[in-house]
Amino acid sequence: MLNKTLRLFILTLALFISVACAPVAATSGSAAAPTGDASASGEASASGDAVTLILGGYTTPREAYAEIIPLFKTFWKEKSGQDVTFEESYLGSGAQSRAIVEGFEADIAALSLEADINRIQDANLITHDWHSSPHNGIVSDSIVVFAVRPGNPKHITDWADLAQPGLQILTPNPATSGGAMWNILSLYGAAKRGFVEGVPADDDAAAQEFLLSVLNNVLVMDKGARESITNFEQGVGDVAITYENEVLVGQKGGQDYEMVTPRSSILIENPVAVIDANVDKHGTRDAAEAFVNFLFTPDVQRVFAKYGLRSVDETVATETAAQYPAVKDLFTVDEYFGGWKAVTPLMFGEDGIFTKTVAKVQRLAQ
Amino acid sequence: MSVATLSKAAAGSQGSRRPLWGAWSLRAIAITYLTVLLIIPLLVIFRDGLREGIGELWHQVTLPMAWHALKLTLWTAAVMTIINSVMGLMTAFVLVRYTFPGHALLNAIVDLPLAIPTLVTGVMLVVLYGPQEALGAWLKEELGISIIFAPPGIVLALLFITFPFVVRAVQPVLLTLDRTQEAAAATLGAGLFTIGRRVILPPLILPLATGALLSFARAIGEFGAIVIVAGNLPMYSQTAAVYVLGAVESENRLGASAISIVMVTIAFSLILVVDWLQRREDKEAV
Repeated sequence: MLNKTLRLFILTLALFISVACAPVAATSGSAAAPTGDASASGEASASGDAVTLILGGYTTPREAYAEIIPLFKTFWKEKSGQDVTFEESYLGSGAQSRAIVEGFEADIAALSLEADINRIQDANLITHDWHSSPHNGIVSDSIVVFAVRPGNPKHITDWADLAQPGLQILTPNPATSGGAMWNILSLYGAAKRGFVEGVPADDDAAAQEFLLSVLNNVLVMDKGARESITNFEQGVGDVAITYENEVLVGQKGGQDYEMVTPRSSILIENPVAVIDANVDKHGTRDAAEAFVNFLFTPDVQRVFAKYGLRSVDETVATETAAQYPAVKDLFTVDEYFGGWKAVTPLMFGEDGIFTKTVAKVQRLAQ
Repeated sequence: MSVATLSKAAAGSQGSRRPLWGAWSLRAIAITYLTVLLIIPLLVIFRDGLREGIGELWHQVTLPMAWHALKLTLWTAAVMTIINSVMGLMTAFVLVRYTFPGHALLNAIVDLPLAIPTLVTGVMLVVLYGPQEALGAWLKEELGISIIFAPPGIVLALLFITFPFVVRAVQPVLLTLDRTQEAAAATLGAGLFTIGRRVILPPLILPLATGALLSFARAIGEFGAIVIVAGNLPMYSQTAAVYVLGAVESENRLGASAISIVMVTIAFSLILVVDWLQRREDKEAV
């Protein structure tokens, strides 16, 4: 009797151990299967076999990809005879990038900012020069704007207005959100470039002072850009600093907030890259590269434009220009801040400008 | 699993070999399970945080944002614990001593916070007390109090989440109290307050402390509800758990582990105290 119970115990333990070891087994197993498939069919891609692509994306363009993927399926079927199925995962850009580094075997990464692609590259998973794709590997653009309440009751027209005492601002936390980094860089860049009244151009101290006065007004720092705009939609705060495409999509979805475009804003550039290590493992390189190139075709660029993203394709950009207010002073991370590798420690590192400034935030009684 | 305990187990079962084997495997299983599930992950955190020495750990902990987050976590948990102790004690007393319509239901509801995802708790509180909601707006207009997106919101969320701890710790002891002592005190002329203080409260002190400390330890690690209600502004309403998320997400694993070590250490010390209190309680019961 006891012996029986014991056997049950041991069986359970064995089960437990096998479950604990399962991730390893599963990874190697699933990795092996597609490779086998690929060697049989992937190389001879015209044989009419199936291929599965894993897309690791950030959250914003999710709806756009829902439209793009069927287009690609038709395209690829005609071109190669293969049926493509997609496995899609959407997370915050940073979280997605880390997931891929830690072993999520995405074939393609579509992220919010270059720094998150660089992380995957630094882990030696991307070994080709991803900038060699069309448009430097940047698939869509956007800018940083403000969402304000209907009628703009607080009269917000530009960055300087964000420092008015008592204003309630929403912007996500740069520690957790790529979108938040864009926001802070845009604010700080605008101030340093002389587009904030009272802040002389190229004056670091004055720009930091301005950053502090805006941060003093921040009511909620959400984890991500999406949570932040959702909070705003629920009625929290006077202004949300956010992506232009979030506002345009929100308005299309029936939200009544208004968009204010500052005179000076940063050009948000969303990169996409094939992840070499994973496509080689899965034997999906042909389809994955075709998908990335497909994203730059005018038809697909129009889909991105439909979801509020600025097109990188000149023809489509001209077609959709009416949708996007012109920005007087548009600057990029590369040109103005010397690229992500320089700006991340400069602004968000332990001794970074943002980190030091936010430590001085004094919340006045509201 | 010393030889002594093994032979004792064997002796206890008349020298039969199977139970000896059984007792041994049972222990092996339990200890392996505990090690794999709890001890190894905890060791990883400690190894991570101490990787660059205690000085670097201290540096990470005393960074202004981290330090503020830890202080905020501790004081909001402390305020919650005080309120929870008083109100939990009263709730338990009412649930044990009085019956009224809906008593059984109310008693069951006490445990509900354990089952509700804390994220849902957060959303619920924002819907109720948020600045754009009727109640929240009224509190702000009339009394000038901001609850959501401010430290009071954290205390409120913690109160909700830890509600069962004190009640459930005190309740069983209250049930076993000998009420003749209270009656005796009353015949000797003691008022309600004196009876409460001199007769009812003393045996409840230990379970009350146990419940209070457990709720404090639970509160230190809370994330889901707080991330929704607090506003998470560094230096104002960002708690340690939310700070740790930021550290993880921005590649600062050392910072994340350092703060985690402090949190784990505090919680573990409290649990040791709870353990000690419970043993005293057991002794008193005997």
